[in-house]
Amino acid sequence: MIDWRTRQTLVTGALGAVTVLFLAYQWLPMLTMALLSFTGPDGGPTFPMRGVSLHWYRELARVQMVDDFKPPMFRSLVLALACSVTTAALALAAAQAIRARFRGSNPFFYLVLLGIMAPGLLVGFGVAVVTRILGIPLAWYTTTFAVHVVWTLPFGFLTLLAAFNRFDVRLEEAALTLGANRWRAFWRVTFPLVLPGVIGAGLFGFTLSYDEFARSLFSTGSEQTLPLVIFAQFDRQLQPTLYAIGTVTTVVSLVTVALFSLLYRIVRQRTRTLANETT
Amino acid sequence: MSTLRARSPVSYLLALPAALWMLAALIVPTIFIVWVSFWATRTFSLASPLALINYAKFFSRSTYVKLLVDTVQQSLLLMAITLVLGYCIAYFIVVKVRRPQLQLWLFLLLVVPFWTSALIRTIAWIPFLGVTGVINQALLFLGVVDQPVSAFLYSLTGITLAQVSFYTLLATGPVAYTLRNVPPSLREAAQCLKATPLHVFWRITFPLTLPGVVIGQILVFLNVMADFATASAIGGNKYAFLGNLVILLYDSGQLPFASVIAVLLMLCMLGGVAVLLKMVDIRRLGVA
Repeated sequence: MIDWRTRQTLVTGALGAVTVLFLAYQWLPMLTMALLSFTGPDGGPTFPMRGVSLHWYRELARVQMVDDFKPPMFRSLVLALACSVTTAALALAAAQAIRARFRGSNPFFYLVLLGIMAPGLLVGFGVAVVTRILGIPLAWYTTTFAVHVVWTLPFGFLTLLAAFNRFDVRLEEAALTLGANRWRAFWRVTFPLVLPGVIGAGLFGFTLSYDEFARSLFSTGSEQTLPLVIFAQFDRQLQPTLYAIGTVTTVVSLVTVALFSLLYRIVRQRTRTLANETT
Repeated sequence: MSTLRARSPVSYLLALPAALWMLAALIVPTIFIVWVSFWATRTFSLASPLALINYAKFFSRSTYVKLLVDTVQQSLLLMAITLVLGYCIAYFIVVKVRRPQLQLWLFLLLVVPFWTSALIRTIAWIPFLGVTGVINQALLFLGVVDQPVSAFLYSLTGITLAQVSFYTLLATGPVAYTLRNVPPSLREAAQCLKATPLHVFWRITFPLTLPGVVIGQILVFLNVMADFATASAIGGNKYAFLGNLVILLYDSGQLPFASVIAVLLMLCMLGGVAVLLKMVDIRRLGVA
């Protein structure tokens, strides 16, 4: 029988090994893809690398016709921005409404959360069926937009519910007692206090929409978004260009997350100082 | 007192945009899918009489039923793997790691891939799995095999390997959340009362994190059931799940039959979630 201290160390070591191995397992494919995107002009989609070059990135910038990723990328960015703003606005209104515990707020809560549970492929499929029957044309800025917000809104909603749960209600009460009307109290006191939550909702809206593939598959018309074009190209032939565009869009996603977190930190810092000054 | 009076009529106005959006882009389409699944015609026709013919077609062909079984089986497999793996990772990061700095880094390394494109992550698996892929080259180098193994790409093993890397996070997150709310003093108290570590885990820690486990399992279940991209990218044309069948039928214009698959898929998902929710009272999640 080994003593408990050794056993404890063994357990910790084993769990640590599992964690580290999993993280490596999760990251290695992405890092490999990034590495392979710098292969030389004669390089193929797998090892060994044939030299190091920016050839495939230049290829991305050069290509004009079929495999041009630039217009789809532009569409995806615009769509993501629209989803970001819409998610933040709708989630703010919905979370504020929930605070009033109106009749039917419980079903409303579950209705919004259904967007997380619903399988993306089938939501897109459903919208495609509806538009077919009603004779509405599919387009990335209408149907795809609608389907993406169904996915991003619940995330923003939960973020804002958490923000409303955390903030000090007494600050709001003080504003009302001091004679501010509800509208003014909301925009001058409540809104600045939950602003970090609004930014969080905006982040969900942006990145989830920017990377979305399953929901776009059926709901987008002939002008396709970036993930759709990437998949179509992948279906035809696996080339290092795909690794290059993959690396580029991963960097775009990560930079966006970093920017939003920076904004979040700044705003939260300011909110805290404001709240401390007033109490 | 708050900026919105309790049961104020304004609250309805505020809730309306979100509610309408979800109704128009989620509930109505679902109802339409169910309606179309009863169309008796093969292709698109609004005047179609309603019948169960497409459902009968599904259950009379063993290939389709097998696809359903395969999909459920794959979900169960993924749930089992991610349950164990996810719990170990969550337990290590939350309980075993003491330095907050290290905890934060591990957590970030775990979560950041969630913010990137799942499609790109799937494609990134391809250079790993092929006959000349990284796994084979490593195995050859280590002398484990003397000929490249073709069992990774275009195979269920490859699909499973990739899915585990995507979905373990979904099982880890909720467990980590509930685990953080279990006060260490509970474990210490049990230990003082001479409970063995294994006893402490199964009698105290695990039951308290059960809501997190169930939420994680629901998320993994729903995602694997609806996954089609991993199967079509890594499985080639050899492997398919129900989601792939929906795409195939949609592309060939068989809208009613595609709807039948969609309805069956949704029913399976609802059933699975209902079973999982039976195991735990979800409303306790915040308190646990």
